[in-house]
Amino acid sequence: MAATAPQQPAGLAVARARRLADTLAAPPRTAADVDALEALRADTARHLAAVAADLPEGERLVLDGHRLLVAHRHPERCALAEAPFTPSPRSCRRAVGMAVVARCVRAGAPAPAAAVAEVVEEAVADLEAPGGAGRAPWWARYYAGLPAGGRAVVRAEAVGFATRLVTAVEWERLERPPVVGGRDDWWQCPSGALTLRGRAELRVATGERVTLLVVGTRRCREDWRLELGYPGLVATLVRAPAAAPGRVVGLWPDSGQVRVLELDPGTLERTAAAVVAAAASWVDARIEAAGAPGAAG
Amino acid sequence: MPVLAHRPLHGAELLGRLRGETGARPVVDPGLAGGLRDWLEDGLAEAVAEVPGAHEVRVTKETLNQVLVCEAHLAACAGAPRTVSAALARGTLVDALFRQWVTVGGFEDPWADAVAALEAEEDPGGILPFVAALPAGRRTALVEEVEEQAQGILRRWPVPSPAWMARTQERLEIPVCGGRVVLSGVIDLLLGAPAHQRASVCLVELKSGGRRLEHRGDLHFYALLETLRSAAPPFRIATYYSATGELDVEPVGEDTLRAALERVLDGAAALCRLAAGHEPARRPNPLCAWCAGLPRCAPGQARAGTDVPRTPDAGDDEDAG
Repeated sequence: MAATAPQQPAGLAVARARRLADTLAAPPRTAADVDALEALRADTARHLAAVAADLPEGERLVLDGHRLLVAHRHPERCALAEAPFTPSPRSCRRAVGMAVVARCVRAGAPAPAAAVAEVVEEAVADLEAPGGAGRAPWWARYYAGLPAGGRAVVRAEAVGFATRLVTAVEWERLERPPVVGGRDDWWQCPSGALTLRGRAELRVATGERVTLLVVGTRRCREDWRLELGYPGLVATLVRAPAAAPGRVVGLWPDSGQVRVLELDPGTLERTAAAVVAAAASWVDARIEAAGAPGAAG
Repeated sequence: MPVLAHRPLHGAELLGRLRGETGARPVVDPGLAGGLRDWLEDGLAEAVAEVPGAHEVRVTKETLNQVLVCEAHLAACAGAPRTVSAALARGTLVDALFRQWVTVGGFEDPWADAVAALEAEEDPGGILPFVAALPAGRRTALVEEVEEQAQGILRRWPVPSPAWMARTQERLEIPVCGGRVVLSGVIDLLLGAPAHQRASVCLVELKSGGRRLEHRGDLHFYALLETLRSAAPPFRIATYYSATGELDVEPVGEDTLRAALERVLDGAAALCRLAAGHEPARRPNPLCAWCAGLPRCAPGQARAGTDVPRTPDAGDDEDAG
């Protein structure tokens, strides 16, 4: 069964959207090299365990895509105090937007502007239902507490995010419905103190394997191979080698740029090396912070 | 040339002006966007080569306007603290209400809604402290003006159908010359999904103040960005004046995009020269009297006919969009 096609202008062939769909659906160029992937997993676990061993006692480190790029682009910033997460229309836009995309692609909603109303109404209803708070998405309480003007901004941001993704792919060309959003990939280093977290907006099945689509912000940077390789690496580590992703496609809607990264063993090894270096930058920062005057413990 | 509507348009007439006839929209030349990008890259290569390695030259509608009027004016603006005026506050608040109208199709209490929108976004422009500090009379006047414009939006704008894929405050960011130069902007409203065979997107900028000369140039710049991003030009660009209900609509042809590109080349090359450390050129013009750099600019003072610097008046008509 193909994915449902959200409403698109009748009779207009969106060539870019077709190319992107075909790239997502195409099988990987090479078969999964099971031995190489097993070796990669063992090497990565060993190197990261060595890095994590230096974490101050009792500390844990979750390395996500944001922290990876901070360490890679501006390692000195790892030492700065991280602001605690606070919900805002901007920080909700992906979460609400992906729920809207899912509704358009999987449930046949005609367009994001219509789907967003249903998504936020259901979230608030779940929140208010007896025992429903556990079902409600994390942003529901924030949204429910906003006045009308604030709610409108959350919805507008989500519609913008969703519209760009919905119109970027010619969904009918995907033979099987993709996983839209879905859970992040979490890989725990055997030492237990370090966890890698990978995120993708779409997972498209290509036989036993999968292709990931990652939506980037602003524009594609010089280190796009790392930006795309990271979720590919984490997905590789959490899956059986034969089911590892073969490709990651990056889409930057603000700039219209698209990049395709084939996940061959060499690419994964380079990505893993950069991840180990980034983890080391964060561990160094934690060590410095723990040793700084006034640090607890 | 734009079609100017010097009377307020309502409902279907307004939308008809923006959406036109689907079948009458222009066919996209598939080589156009690539050709424009090559032209930009070639035209900027020499200027970019002078820019120090780590420097990224950012081209926005504001920097383009400023540098093309007078390079010294741009340099003075860059060094001056950002000031909020009543016009800027009005524009930001009305922008928020327009966004709400397009997204949810209604207001509860326009002033409260606009303030809540800015609060949710953490008010990056510092509008709310400015409003809070206004004397009671000026604040009341601002509230009335914003509410009046909200009523105008309510009366004249139909809620867009979901099928038109309306999205608001959309960011465009186009890197050229290997990312050394970045063209960027935020468009108030886009209607229509990007398509490839026929142009299908309409760009709308909302202005809460009066007509200004640079509004057309701003829209042409955005049309160029959208073309480079989506590989298809918008078929129409429009400025909606929320105080009067007037709507200026212009079709986008290749000549529009070429003219926009030549203007971007002139402006971006000047920005590159400034980034490379060249002395800004001074071009005396009618705006010299309002320039933050006037106290240090002899040609500007001669043009303004004074050696007494003037400070910008809080009532200057400066829009947020």
